Amino acid sequence: MAVSFTINGSQRTFDGDEEMPLLWHLREEAGLKGTKFGCGIGQCGACTVHIDGEAVRSCSVPMGTISGASITTIEGLADGDNLHPVQEAWLEEDVPQCGYCQAGQIMATVAFLKETPDPTDEDINNGITNLCRCGTYYRIRRAIKRAAENMATA
Amino acid sequence: MASLNRRTFLKSSAATAVMVVAVSNTPHLIAQEAPTTGMVSPCLKLNSDGQITLCVPIPDMGQGMETTAAQMIADELNVDLKDVEVELMPFLGRTNDEGRAVFGRFYQGGGGSGSTMRIYHEVRRTAAYARTVLLEAAARNWQVPRHRLNAENGNITDPVTGRFIPFTALIEAAQSVGDEVKPNTIDPKPVSEHTVIGKSTKNVQGKAIVTGQPIFGIDAEIPDMLHAVIRRCPHLNGSLARYEDRRARRVPGVIEIKTLDRIPVDKTAYRSVSAGVAVIAETYWAARKAADLLEIDWHGSISVDDDTELLRSKCLAALDNGEFTTSIEGGDLATALADADQIVEATYFHPHWAHTCIEPHSCIADVKADQAEIWVSHQFMDSAINAVNSAVGISPSNVKANFYRMGTGFGRKFEEDYVMEAALLSRAVGRAVKVTWSREDEMEQDYVNSLGAYRLRASIDSDGDVTGWHIRAAADTVPAIITREYPARLIDNYRGEFHQVPNGVSRGAWRGPHHNVAGWVIQSFLDEIATASGKDRLQSLLEVYSKKEVLKSANWPFRDTFFERYRTVLQKAADESEFGKSMPEGWGQGIAVHHTFVSVCAHVVDVEMQGERDYRVHRVTSAIDCGLVVNPLGVRAQVESGIMDGLCAAKYGKWVLEKGLVTTNNFDSYQKMRIDEAPANVDVHILDFGDAEPRGTGEVSLPPVIPALTNAIFAASGKRIRSLPISEHL
Repeated sequence: MAVSFTINGSQRTFDGDEEMPLLWHLREEAGLKGTKFGCGIGQCGACTVHIDGEAVRSCSVPMGTISGASITTIEGLADGDNLHPVQEAWLEEDVPQCGYCQAGQIMATVAFLKETPDPTDEDINNGITNLCRCGTYYRIRRAIKRAAENMATA
Repeated sequence: MASLNRRTFLKSSAATAVMVVAVSNTPHLIAQEAPTTGMVSPCLKLNSDGQITLCVPIPDMGQGMETTAAQMIADELNVDLKDVEVELMPFLGRTNDEGRAVFGRFYQGGGGSGSTMRIYHEVRRTAAYARTVLLEAAARNWQVPRHRLNAENGNITDPVTGRFIPFTALIEAAQSVGDEVKPNTIDPKPVSEHTVIGKSTKNVQGKAIVTGQPIFGIDAEIPDMLHAVIRRCPHLNGSLARYEDRRARRVPGVIEIKTLDRIPVDKTAYRSVSAGVAVIAETYWAARKAADLLEIDWHGSISVDDDTELLRSKCLAALDNGEFTTSIEGGDLATALADADQIVEATYFHPHWAHTCIEPHSCIADVKADQAEIWVSHQFMDSAINAVNSAVGISPSNVKANFYRMGTGFGRKFEEDYVMEAALLSRAVGRAVKVTWSREDEMEQDYVNSLGAYRLRASIDSDGDVTGWHIRAAADTVPAIITREYPARLIDNYRGEFHQVPNGVSRGAWRGPHHNVAGWVIQSFLDEIATASGKDRLQSLLEVYSKKEVLKSANWPFRDTFFERYRTVLQKAADESEFGKSMPEGWGQGIAVHHTFVSVCAHVVDVEMQGERDYRVHRVTSAIDCGLVVNPLGVRAQVESGIMDGLCAAKYGKWVLEKGLVTTNNFDSYQKMRIDEAPANVDVHILDFGDAEPRGTGEVSLPPVIPALTNAIFAASGKRIRSLPISEHL
């Protein structure tokens, strides 16, 4: 049975294997390579996207479960040429080293800041669980706080 | 004219892989790629629509090489990095007499923390040449002497007339002057004139990264390619016994199922490619799904002794009974030990660590009868091309390689297996094939950091001075490097000995190979010595590194070591961290220093115990000497990165083999540190000794952070960590 949903505001239908994780639909069928494959078991968060505004790990979301969902990926985060404040904060703090996990980190942070607009260190420790193999955690923490400040004054 | 011939050759062969090699043999040739595009040396590409592209020779795996190399080029050309694009050069090497790809004018690999220093002079010379060609082209246009013109912000300017012309308007004119400007006659700028080198510069791919652009190897795709998922032999050195593919073949989209033999076939020889069964399908998901439906029996009996616990026992037993090779010896150790007021002895052990590159390996190969093309993220351009040659026998001259950014490398993306698999499968099916690894593949098929045990003895005289140093290392690798490390030779009476335990484990380069554990073992033991002699720990280290001023390193790359730099980084880290200050109950500081390849780094770690079995690192204070600094922001990033990697490996790193099978094959069984365990304060100090050349950074901060941590845990809790991972031994 065909499944309908939106990705970054565009209507899409899917009529393939309902067991296929959303990650592979995004990467291989929708042409959106920004969402990354890291572990396939929802551990690392490199594949984090938003479904109806909530951060989810798309490697563990079967296509059969997303009927009617509104999906946002890293490619849909900016408003045209205007980057999202979290993306801006990532650039200002020069967070990325290899950069592979950063789309997932940014998507996780955007959803996190919606729930926790003025996070403490403890909030960040509990709310952000994505893996970064370059160990940019120190700069991610600063970027989260900077984004929170920028969004509060925006 | 020779140059004309070369240009004609380039033009006629522009559509084939040969072009890559042709450019390499004449690295200063101006190549006309298309009517509106021109290369002015291999480092500068101009487009008539006004776009300037700087081309860097070494792939980026997060070490910041694209940014660092772009800074070097931008400095010589006087362009602002904000106004230009940065991309990777193609491979510019050649095929040698043995038929293998070797580097040409540029070193094109990332490893040994050497990228920056290996290209520093050549990249700047090449960029200086490009600047001079543009100056000459403008000088001819205006019929004025070249020396009165300047290159500024992407333009050639004439201060006398006030005229200016953009670089990109000089494409055609530059074509005709290339051979008049002699490539090796132009010196790059002196340090005093640097404007971009030495300036903190953000990641040039930052925007592409935060907007999710497809810049990694795994993102590559080409028209009409097929996808392969391989089920590889899970035993270290096993082979395929039988397989049943009835169910796999029923998955829609499956095209072929092929077997891969182990390479080499001799299972006692080091493994290049695992035995496997590959599903080739129209889509990744079809291949993945079908591969999981394969029923496979493997032969694995050859690997049953490759077992973490067994290897540990063998290494520990060898320390008592093994035959050792002496790697270094001097003075009279026996007398020093006999005359000692006190002898300190300790045994250390560490298990294997996996790389866990965040981007699982992948490669696209399109192999034809006598030529091939690959699309891959790989640390070494020559190795990736040679992998194709090894797999399918095509000459490197006929291999075109497209390189991408790596989602980390750590030494694992130096190996050839994932490229060889793609080439073998493309040849087998006669189509372009993309091989994508799973996380389980990446960890099961890893070339891990070594496992080893060490026994150290030191003699201390009645003044508390260290008079003798003895280290024995028994490991699954040849653990010679650690046995030759300082303080051997600083202390007058010394002996280093090593022993390799027979094993079939695939070992490879892991960030700071050998040094990553040498730093821990040696600096922990020096901390034990300070404790035993009742000395202040910093003073004790300063005394050891004051025994000599200069020694030629006994380890690669065998350069002189200046111990003033050890003392300076130690003192700086101590001062900035207020080392030795009084701390609350359950808190402690640890200090350590280590020299990795050519650079030296010291850290102070502040920890707070969390009950008996856990701890938090609150702060790391670092001082590094890495020579001339091209990008201070990038050096800081690398120091921070090595700190996090070291803290993580020390606490959790344990890649487990049970009778030849890897049981830690994803992030649920192989734990990694997350933001909650990362120190919120990292204070990095880059020291300037007035060097005129850069040295290494990428691996340098990791080795000393592990002993700084375990020494801090000792200070905080009285517990000496002599076995890793800490999470199992606290």
